[in-house]
Amino acid sequence: MISCAAFEQPGRWRMVGIALAFLVALAPALALLTMMEASALAATATFSSAFVGSLARSMRVACAVVGVSVVVGLPTGVFASVYAFPLRRLLLALLALPLLVPSFISAIGLSMLRRAFDLSADSLLSGFAGTVLTFALFGTPLVMFITLASARSISRSQMDAARLAGGERHLFHRIVWEVFPASALTGVLAGVLTLSDPGPGQILGYSGVASEILVSLAAQYDFAAAARQCVSLAGVVLVIGLPVALLLAPRLASGLLARDTTFAPLARGRAVAGLGPVLFTALLVLTVALPLAGFLQPLFRSFPADRAMREVGRTLGNTFSYAAGASALATMLGVGLAVCAGRSVRLRIISLVGLLLVFALPPALGALGLIQLAGASSAQLDPVLRGPFTVSLALALRFFPVAAVFAMRRLGSTSPSWAAAAVHGVSLTAFGRKVLVPWLASAALPAALLIALLATADVSSVLLLHPPGKGSLPLAIFTVMANAPEALVGALCLAYVGGAALLLGLGWLATISFSRQS
Amino acid sequence: MTALVQVQDLRKSYDGHLVFQSVCFELHVGQHLALLGPSGCGKSTLLRLVAGLDMPTEGQLWLDGRLVSERNRVLVSPHERKLAMVFQDLALWPTLNALDNVLLGMARVPLDKCGRRAQALEAPRICKIDALARRKSAALSLGQQQRVALARALTVRPRLLLLDEPFSSLDLPLKQELIAELSDLAAKLSITLLLVTHDPAEAKALCSHALVLEDGRICENGPWTELMGSPASKTLRAFART
Repeated sequence: MISCAAFEQPGRWRMVGIALAFLVALAPALALLTMMEASALAATATFSSAFVGSLARSMRVACAVVGVSVVVGLPTGVFASVYAFPLRRLLLALLALPLLVPSFISAIGLSMLRRAFDLSADSLLSGFAGTVLTFALFGTPLVMFITLASARSISRSQMDAARLAGGERHLFHRIVWEVFPASALTGVLAGVLTLSDPGPGQILGYSGVASEILVSLAAQYDFAAAARQCVSLAGVVLVIGLPVALLLAPRLASGLLARDTTFAPLARGRAVAGLGPVLFTALLVLTVALPLAGFLQPLFRSFPADRAMREVGRTLGNTFSYAAGASALATMLGVGLAVCAGRSVRLRIISLVGLLLVFALPPALGALGLIQLAGASSAQLDPVLRGPFTVSLALALRFFPVAAVFAMRRLGSTSPSWAAAAVHGVSLTAFGRKVLVPWLASAALPAALLIALLATADVSSVLLLHPPGKGSLPLAIFTVMANAPEALVGALCLAYVGGAALLLGLGWLATISFSRQS
Repeated sequence: MTALVQVQDLRKSYDGHLVFQSVCFELHVGQHLALLGPSGCGKSTLLRLVAGLDMPTEGQLWLDGRLVSERNRVLVSPHERKLAMVFQDLALWPTLNALDNVLLGMARVPLDKCGRRAQALEAPRICKIDALARRKSAALSLGQQQRVALARALTVRPRLLLLDEPFSSLDLPLKQELIAELSDLAAKLSITLLLVTHDPAEAKALCSHALVLEDGRICENGPWTELMGSPASKTLRAFART
């Protein structure tokens, strides 16, 4: 019998498990690299001026997104972490919506809004400014929520000490400085993620490097060029992402461990009760209502409900099966990795560095790797490498870091009951079945739901890997947006946002019910 | 003697759950008062009300003759009350070094940067941690952290020092050493002390007076000599038996 103490003890199996998990996650990318001809690999250093130009445009956008996201997301996150105000929970839940909606849908909304108001091509809603604005709609809530989470880990007495020393203003400054590194690094991560996202730039007339890769593959059918460009982009992402991951991982690793902190109750006051709703409603208008107004305005002229419903009906099954498959696979891989990392701070840091980098890598890298693998494999592997499962697999390998982080957090907060169980001779299997699995399930379920939503929002992998006639709803919107009537595109976008809002609402209600019960 | 703190008919409840009621006492300038009672009796809550970090459900609180808190209102903000506090978990910022933690407490001191720094260096000297000024607080021992927290409180030269079980996690020799040092410092700097503790021995070593909170009310209040003569509370009766 293996004692359940094995679960908490250090061992070589932990490092082997972590290495294996990352090997699986990076297998398609590694396949792409190893199968590329040496000459093609060498040619990654030489590019057309179009590619270099698009890379420079992407970098400019990324830098601006970092700036906007941190400048807006940091103070609002601190405000939300310290003060109670009317509708706080609802407004925060709604602000999570842009994180679950593909960025190209927000871009479509802004583009439609620009046309509705007949604004020029160099207005705030198009070109560089429009692209930055669209990505900032995602980056700002991301920084805000990370800031909120970091600031909530500051203890009540630390806040009281700052309050005693210099009042609310001093407290606010202190918290801003305390959480600044985590917020700024999250902002950089958001910037890095924009490099791999082709949608907004392509729609708003400021195409970046990710669009260039899509064009190479989907329009010019030049796999070698697309692979070369993708590998180069991955190199850029790694150069920027590695220092960020190395700096962010130790903070995340200690943040994920359980701590004996008395959370500060949210402060109330007349001024914040007035300011809070105004501030967060303004943010909501900018991040959610503005793109939404774009989809809605053509719908006032005509509402092609039948066509939209047909399109939704045609793609709903695929969307659901890709998301469900991805969330199941990603959750298994993520939980496995978290179990291997255990409570060791060193292994958590190593794992988090890897997870941050995997998450930041261009999704096209894995997708192109899978295409390459499919081309080189026998027909027997078609169900794995050429079917709907391939799409789920690619999405799972991209989003498993989310499940791993959720599971690490949950494992970090387990009580030392294993020690008592080990003394009483409880076996590892019995401990796992009765204690560990139920404990982890409460983290795995929300992680699976979140991964399903994120996987649904991903377009790059689905576009490159979906079997003919088996596109998802976002892909259908992405492919018809240039040619279909505005009203149909608007109706499809609305259907997507409505679905995401519905799921978010269910999650929000579940959270409220859970917090009331506990 | 002038009353620095006057507490009148104070009552506190959270979500309908009564913590304490009818609490009245005075704390005079230079006096050292211990707030005693079992865990959960509301000692720390009372201290937070004095600090202005929380508001009373009923009653009034006066500091230096000025009404600072009344029913559901904090009239004078915590940082304007000219007091300092040492928290049970010390509330140091682990990312800052000892000196920066001390400087952090001086946000309201009306001095320029140099003046503030000079004043900030004085308290660590008194608390014997000046050699540790550049060390991150997380890298200090518990006793050293305790001294940094004390230095942070003393550096603003408060008239009233609130201590929320500051010695609870220390071993006996270190606790005795710190209590003796704090006693000397308070006398030297003419600081009024309000100490929250559940340990009567600790309270007796530092304070001349004690107030015992039990079952949501003040059970007894007065100088140690009087209280120990005929203890009325469970807390002091148990202490007298030992």
